[in-house]
Amino acid sequence: MSEATAVKEHISHEHHGFMNTYIFSLDHKMIGKQFLLLGLIMLLLGGGLALLVRWQLAYPEQPLPLIGASQHYLETGEAETAMDSYWDSELSKTEDEQGWLVQKMPVGIITPAFYNALFTMHATIMVFFVVMPILVGAFGNYLIPLMIGTRDMAFPLLNMLSFWIAVVSGAIMLAGFFVPGGHAATGWTGYPPLSTDPAWTGVDWGQNLWCISLIVLGISSLMGSINYITTIINMRAPGMTYMRMPMVIWALFIVAILLLLALPVLTAALAMLVFDRLAGTTFFNPAGGGDPLLWQHLFWFFGHPEVYILILPGMGITSEILPVFSRKPIFGYKAMVLAMASLAFLSWIVWGHHMFQSGMNPSMGMTFMITTMVIAVPSAIKTFNWLGTLWGGSIRFTVPMLNSLAFVSMFVIGGLSGIFMASSAVDIFIHDTYYIVAHIHYVVFGGSIFAIFAGVYYWFPKMFGRMMNEPLAKVHFWLSFIAFNCTFFPMHILGVGGHMRRIYNPMQYEFLQQFEHMNIFITMSAFALGLTQLILLFNVFHSMFRGKKAGDNPWNANTLEWTAATPPPHGNFDAIPTVHHAPYEYSAPGISEDWLSQTNELQPTNGNGH
Amino acid sequence: MLDWLPQNVSTFGSEIDKFFYVIYYITTTVFFLVTAAMIYFLVKYRFQEGKPARYYHGNNTLEIVWTSATLVAMLILAVASKPLWSKIKQNPPPAEVIIKVTGKQYNWEVLYPGPDGAFGTDDDYQVDNNVHVPVNKVVHVLLGSIDVIHSFFVPQLRLKQDAVPGREIVAWFEVTEAGSYEIPCAELCGFGHSGMLGRLIVHSPEEYEQWVGQTWPDN
Amino acid sequence: MSDVFTEERANTLVQDYGGTPPPIGAGPSDPGNGGRQDSSGKSHANAILAMALFLGADVMFFAGLIGAFVVFRFGALHWPPPGQPLLPLGITGINTGILLISGAFMVKTWQNIDRWPHKKITKALTLTTLLGMTFLLVQGYEWFRLVAFGFKLTSGTFGGTFYTLIGCHALHVMGAVLWLATVTVRLARNRLDQQQRNTSIALIGMYWTLVVALWPILYGLVYWN
Repeated sequence: MSEATAVKEHISHEHHGFMNTYIFSLDHKMIGKQFLLLGLIMLLLGGGLALLVRWQLAYPEQPLPLIGASQHYLETGEAETAMDSYWDSELSKTEDEQGWLVQKMPVGIITPAFYNALFTMHATIMVFFVVMPILVGAFGNYLIPLMIGTRDMAFPLLNMLSFWIAVVSGAIMLAGFFVPGGHAATGWTGYPPLSTDPAWTGVDWGQNLWCISLIVLGISSLMGSINYITTIINMRAPGMTYMRMPMVIWALFIVAILLLLALPVLTAALAMLVFDRLAGTTFFNPAGGGDPLLWQHLFWFFGHPEVYILILPGMGITSEILPVFSRKPIFGYKAMVLAMASLAFLSWIVWGHHMFQSGMNPSMGMTFMITTMVIAVPSAIKTFNWLGTLWGGSIRFTVPMLNSLAFVSMFVIGGLSGIFMASSAVDIFIHDTYYIVAHIHYVVFGGSIFAIFAGVYYWFPKMFGRMMNEPLAKVHFWLSFIAFNCTFFPMHILGVGGHMRRIYNPMQYEFLQQFEHMNIFITMSAFALGLTQLILLFNVFHSMFRGKKAGDNPWNANTLEWTAATPPPHGNFDAIPTVHHAPYEYSAPGISEDWLSQTNELQPTNGNGH
Repeated sequence: MLDWLPQNVSTFGSEIDKFFYVIYYITTTVFFLVTAAMIYFLVKYRFQEGKPARYYHGNNTLEIVWTSATLVAMLILAVASKPLWSKIKQNPPPAEVIIKVTGKQYNWEVLYPGPDGAFGTDDDYQVDNNVHVPVNKVVHVLLGSIDVIHSFFVPQLRLKQDAVPGREIVAWFEVTEAGSYEIPCAELCGFGHSGMLGRLIVHSPEEYEQWVGQTWPDN
Repeated sequence: MSDVFTEERANTLVQDYGGTPPPIGAGPSDPGNGGRQDSSGKSHANAILAMALFLGADVMFFAGLIGAFVVFRFGALHWPPPGQPLLPLGITGINTGILLISGAFMVKTWQNIDRWPHKKITKALTLTTLLGMTFLLVQGYEWFRLVAFGFKLTSGTFGGTFYTLIGCHALHVMGAVLWLATVTVRLARNRLDQQQRNTSIALIGMYWTLVVALWPILYGLVYWN
């Protein structure tokens, strides 16, 4: 049976129909798009929660705009607007009959308990249901088979299950908002004993659902990572050696290994936490002989690799896009791969830097400080190699390129600000302040989210067969870039001023009074940043149906996904490609074009070739 | 940015600030160099008709140079931080005043040993949130918690230490200037976390004697 | 470092970055069926690798639980804590032996899968399953006695770690025994072709080996004092 007939037969065996094509699809590309949609919906939600948090910080205990009661109502008790009447009627009911909204934010003022749930869920959703599903779930699924030259994942059924289990996990997580007692309110780190006993927070099933949701998500991620690793090791096209794999595949490969080994540790810790809450064990409760710091050790042993799970795919995407739009080979391919591998390795031995002030034996501080400082080395290698890639290029400022350049510069800021807290002595002051908040957002928003933007703009033509609107995308980029920096850069200053994180009302502290205007500025920028994302959403959905038709290879890129039809059919390739050279052979001498698909041979030039 | 640091009034605080400055100047320099290089490359190597990109795969010497340079710089920074870290967290100087501070939702419970200098006796003096200490004396704080994790934070002292239930952790400080400073809780401890606020009142020696005389129970 | 592009340099570059495709050891190319109804050799390799990865994750899960146990055990002044029972060292020791023998049967079968006749394989797997069941029964009986003594999940960190750690292992054994039984029954009824048989036995063999290998570690850590 020839390959072509095999493909045809395979495709004709497919059950066509809406359910099998769009819902329970086994095709890695559809599953990737499903993860993308899940992530984008959750991005709206997680961003919305952040805006509520920001409102409270800028205008503490003042009614929210639009839905809050009017000043007139608050002063006189006379309803003036429609919302006034709503609050008035709700407040006159007994507590049992009151609606959800009035329990969380009477007259539009966020309660302290709900505030804690807001920032907890903002972080949880962004980490587990936005960045992971998009960077790992969407790009991983979509790109791995296409870029290594195979027809699908090793285990398509497992792949589909992985997505739907993630959806179930997300549903459990969102259900927590609506249970009595409210959602988990102990931060995304869930430190016990605060998280072990409902007596400390008043949160009962919210915290349980938080734990259960993350355990379920662990199963989804386990399936995904096993699938990714198996596919990358066993299913590469002929000629696709490890050292010819595109950087984003290397990144996803390393991330899959981190996920595989890190999440089970979180699962074990979560299981203990659930037992503490529901079965009466005392793992984290000192009254029963337990140890609250044990949770922190387990959590951060998972948590630091997790941080790299969030950033490594972004590094991969950037390393993918910079050479394409510089039209030259990536600088130091092997060094880049080694740097990512060593980042992954180091991530296992640095968790203690989250615990410098925790009461952990201070002599361990020195060890963790050294390992943490060493992380700067692979990070520097990456940065210098990205600069080296730009050097001598022929740079095109397309939208994916702009977002990737933003990734590099924001990652530099996020990396450098990390050195402050790596020094355990300086960390004494800035630990648990907004300095940390600024740092993580520079890495995870300035890094991961800009990489997501770059990746979406770059692969959108392949995914949906149409180009995104370029002018609109540029507006989105510049507004995002400016609003992002206006939002998060001042947070460094708040941190230097000692502004604690996770506080409900900074105006309760004398030494934070001076930051009132800065907090207002940050909040306004955050709202601008949030609104700007509507441009992206509009552009995505508009271009999906109305965009200019895209060719197979709109960017003149070398990697295998661009040799497939646009959008690629089920099975991806007409014939499995054969790979002849490394992925970034741009502007090679002796070749008429400035690019050369990995499927074409790189001919040695003879003497009169140039 | 450095102007935003709260005024420092502790003995080790200025050393922390010094480190902060050093790292600040190093990182700012690196940031501007990297950004300048990037902008220069972006302008110089922008797409121009008839100017192809270089077919260039990297340079191992350069890789080794920037790897080892970063490594050395970072190790120096880590090793240089060590003595200060040990001084603050590991080897406190002998105590001249000892108090017990226990976190509870949402107050700091402060316990003074009383005239006999020992805790757990009848003449202990206990008060919520107000920590009275003399200026220029080494104060040891025995930190604990009765419910969840709190964090004892005095911005002007550059001091932060978590208070963990089931453990007694020794924090110390020596204040160089009399005055009144806030002690916020820096670790999320429940819905009243914001506003969990103690006050550190630093007295001159005479004032301190006076305060002790007035408030501590007699022997 | 010159960026003048000489012929010599071009040839080294082509060697480094291009040239004819070298053979890939682990990954023969996909024959063009979406990896779904794959040629048997490929899906066998995928399944084995996936199982190995799953076991890696499983080990990390146990590492988390064992880590917690070690923190409590070696951080405590008295272990077991006063008032808590000594664990049944002797009978569990015998039980350990039973599990190890069962593991040995499994490994032997796995090694000789292409040499032993079908009947012998079935017999060996049946024995493996029965020994696994015996282990579970003995452990269940022990638990019964411990609970009757008043030693429960809520008996401090000792009870908590004991029942979660040993319980998680017991769940693994239970799952493995069920799986083993299924494979054995299908084997006895001749429901598997040779490829299916080899893959199933390799997979359950890997899983059973991990479950058996974990046990002496747990026995040494948790039961010995």
